Amino acid sequence: MAQVILKDVVKNYGDVYAVNHVSLTVEDGEFVALVGPSGCGKTTTLNLVAGLIPMSGGSISIGDRDVTDLDPKDRDIAMVFQNYALYPQKSVYKNLAFPLQMRKLPKDEIDKRVQAAAKTLDIVHLLERKPRELSGGQQQRVALGRALVREPRAFLMDEPLSNLDAKLRVQMRSEIKRFHQDLNATIIYVTHDQLEAVTMSDKMAVMNGGFLQQYDSPANVFANPVNMFVASFVGSPAMSLVPLTAASKDGKVVLQSPEGWEMPLSDANGRKALRAKSSKVVLGGRHSTIKVHKSSVPGAVPGKVYTVEPTGDVTFAQVFVSGAVVNVSVAPTFQLRPDEPVFVEFDQERLHLFDGETEMALKLA
Amino acid sequence: MWNSRFDYLYVAPAILVMLIVIGYPIYYTIELSFFNTPASLALSAKQFNGLDNYATILTSPIFWKVTWQTVVWTVVSTFFAFVLGLGAALALHREFVGRGFLRALLLIPWVVSAVAASYVWKWLYHSDFGAISAMLSGLGLIDRPINFIDNTSTSLYALIVVNVWKEFSFAMIMLMAGLQTVPDTLLRAAQVDGASPWQRFWHVTFPHLSGVSMVTLLLLAVQNFNSFIIPWIMTGGGPAGSSDIWITHIYQLAFGRQRWGVASAYAVILFIVMMVLGYFYVRALTKGDDARAGA
Repeated sequence: MAQVILKDVVKNYGDVYAVNHVSLTVEDGEFVALVGPSGCGKTTTLNLVAGLIPMSGGSISIGDRDVTDLDPKDRDIAMVFQNYALYPQKSVYKNLAFPLQMRKLPKDEIDKRVQAAAKTLDIVHLLERKPRELSGGQQQRVALGRALVREPRAFLMDEPLSNLDAKLRVQMRSEIKRFHQDLNATIIYVTHDQLEAVTMSDKMAVMNGGFLQQYDSPANVFANPVNMFVASFVGSPAMSLVPLTAASKDGKVVLQSPEGWEMPLSDANGRKALRAKSSKVVLGGRHSTIKVHKSSVPGAVPGKVYTVEPTGDVTFAQVFVSGAVVNVSVAPTFQLRPDEPVFVEFDQERLHLFDGETEMALKLA
Repeated sequence: MWNSRFDYLYVAPAILVMLIVIGYPIYYTIELSFFNTPASLALSAKQFNGLDNYATILTSPIFWKVTWQTVVWTVVSTFFAFVLGLGAALALHREFVGRGFLRALLLIPWVVSAVAASYVWKWLYHSDFGAISAMLSGLGLIDRPINFIDNTSTSLYALIVVNVWKEFSFAMIMLMAGLQTVPDTLLRAAQVDGASPWQRFWHVTFPHLSGVSMVTLLLLAVQNFNSFIIPWIMTGGGPAGSSDIWITHIYQLAFGRQRWGVASAYAVILFIVMMVLGYFYVRALTKGDDARAGA
């Protein structure tokens, strides 16, 4: 296994930048998730690492080799595709053997490796079957096997679980994680599902509009999103964002809503709010850090219940606060009705503040 | 019950028309093939002669000569039309400037009328003022004009060239459609797996084309067995029967020499051959359906 380094990687089609100056380092044995909405450039980035499309600028190295100008077959990587991309006319055995045959390995070595991979992935009993005779999960395992036999320096996975049903996806998620742990493999994993990224990866690279937004551990991305996009993309339900105006009042900083209410900020948060380019500040909070009250308490702001979604363990609700939707969670015993006026209280220690102009997180210097 | 009765009613007009224009002629041809017929249209004077017509045909050296020429014509035409069509389809599958124009250009042979094309080629081949001979001698490659179609040893092959030119576009269209069904990710997977362009073609593209290739080959073969326009207009089967194939020969027997009975027996033999090919065609088509249904 090896380290993968992307330096200032660019892919543009005329004026459209699919990948815009992305730099990141995947350490040896690390599981990195490239995550973002459709068209954010994550799959293009993966294809650039694989060498399947030519780069417009920058460089990529795998291990100690610069592979920027190498063909895919010379990069020593293996790829797993969303639709598995198994060769339909070949048996499972021949699918697994194919990359080794292409490398002209001796027959007994091929057989040894195919059997070993099949054993690892528990598909020995499927070796003589054709791909169309397999279930989605089995096909996915064969696809993993075909990547595994190569003993590559890095695995590239392009939404490998998207075609599976919800239950199987959860199961294969842990299998791929196990696969990573057992092999200590370097994996770059593309997904649009932030939950997959958070649960599986050592580090996640959040992309949007071709730009790398944030590259950090899932915990850090979750706790300290660098901007409003990351804040609203990671987490389920997403972080709620309420656009407000910051103002100083009696030596304290408060957030004012156009409806007339004010929310005082702690000293630290007040200093953050003042660092914004203008008075426009966006208040952010995750559902778990927001309390809901039936009557007014100091620091809480007024809102109106929009929907209530009981899930059993916890009841989620959407509350309109100053025209924005705020996701909150309450105990199932806490009764909420649609259109009921409530008061929501943001935890000063855990709320987020963003610059309304630049959409960047506001931090203390 | 009522529904299915109405279904029969709906298809009845079509079946009736087919019985009149296809069914009855087939029956009548089979009937005539067992009769000795006068060399006139007075077919009521025909005399039953059992399998004599078939015996006459199968023992005649001309039958075997024409059959051999038909097989050569069909196999060689089908093979080259398919190979050229495959090459053109693969070339045009890649994106490049002028692809649309080239695609339209290569479709022309298939679109132009076979009669017009035959006359044009007849002129191109002409030994005295044909463009091909003129060009070759202009380049200094030949001393005197080549006799392409008025020569018993070259006429059949000269016609095959025209036939291939005329129908390779058809193979191209079929295979281009087939190429669209080759999944892009499979080719990418093969690329990552280390397959060269040729190996990608052999392991991924070609297996995906097997169904459409089978159908294309069979359709071309059927079409070639039934060829008439090109040989009839360009040589009429000559010179000295050197480019005669089944259909031109049957036509000659029936409408040139009024040997209706023998011509009918010929037609029945051809009919049997075509039905065998048709069986394989239908099987190739439905086999594809089964494979898809099982997927």
